Amino acid sequence: MTAGLKTIISLSFVLAIGFLLVILSCALFKQYLPLLVVATYVLAPLPNWVCGRCANPDDFVESSSNAVVDFGRFCTGFLVLMGVALPALLAHSEIIRWAAALMSITGGVLIYGTIIAFGMFFQEESEF
Amino acid sequence: MPEERLWKFRKPEWMNSATARSAGVYSAGALFSLAFFIMVDAAVWSHSAKNGSDPPIHINFVDWLPLIFSSLGMLIINSIEKTRLSADSFSYSGNGVAWKARVVLFLGFASLAGGMAGGVTVLVLKYIVPGTVWPTLSMGVSNVAANGLVMLSSVVLWISQNMEDEYSYNLAL
Repeated sequence: MTAGLKTIISLSFVLAIGFLLVILSCALFKQYLPLLVVATYVLAPLPNWVCGRCANPDDFVESSSNAVVDFGRFCTGFLVLMGVALPALLAHSEIIRWAAALMSITGGVLIYGTIIAFGMFFQEESEF
Repeated sequence: MPEERLWKFRKPEWMNSATARSAGVYSAGALFSLAFFIMVDAAVWSHSAKNGSDPPIHINFVDWLPLIFSSLGMLIINSIEKTRLSADSFSYSGNGVAWKARVVLFLGFASLAGGMAGGVTVLVLKYIVPGTVWPTLSMGVSNVAANGLVMLSSVVLWISQNMEDEYSYNLAL
């Protein structure tokens, strides 16, 4: 249990640093578009969860249920790369500066890493 | 079924694992996202202050058309049930499902290749023939790059879905 507690504390620290970086990248330059990165990374695991619920894991012979899972994975991959591509796009058109783009990409990766690590450490094993 | 194998080289063992399969699907999504955002980047750049082309050249609907066709082709190709393609299966060859699948698949591949060709066409007719220089030319280049990435993404998705078939076949036995 102490190991779980340590994990929770360190994960929340990383999450806070990620949010700090993203908000700083917006507030330093008075341009609040990089906040979209947070929304992207929070939405990114969502298709996986929804499609994992939709699919029936019992019949692996029928491939139509696997197609739903694959679609969820495809959407997740799309959203994860969108989190990196969006600040780079904004910086390329000089809507935000490259420093802000770098900060928001780093922050976004930290936030997404926290979400993924949380899911990995505390996966419910209630399959029966 | 080793006696039904067609190719000399067998698939490496790691390709049949579930991890490689899901990694393939994830990277297909990432590649498609990269393609889409390269195109969006070109459009945003074209309407930003950095676009200083003298007769102003902007991204408009014509530039988006190849990407739309490529994405449509990718959707069609990857929506088809792969197992229906082989007419060997007795129960599906009766109604001509394999034939229908091949026609639809041909339409999908034609749309994908048409998107690629359209990207090159836009690059040549809109950017190279009027003699634009680099920062403006990059909009046309990104069009071709986006279509190529959609193609690559659909190849990766196709391969990983075929992996899945082998995998579930092994499981079902």
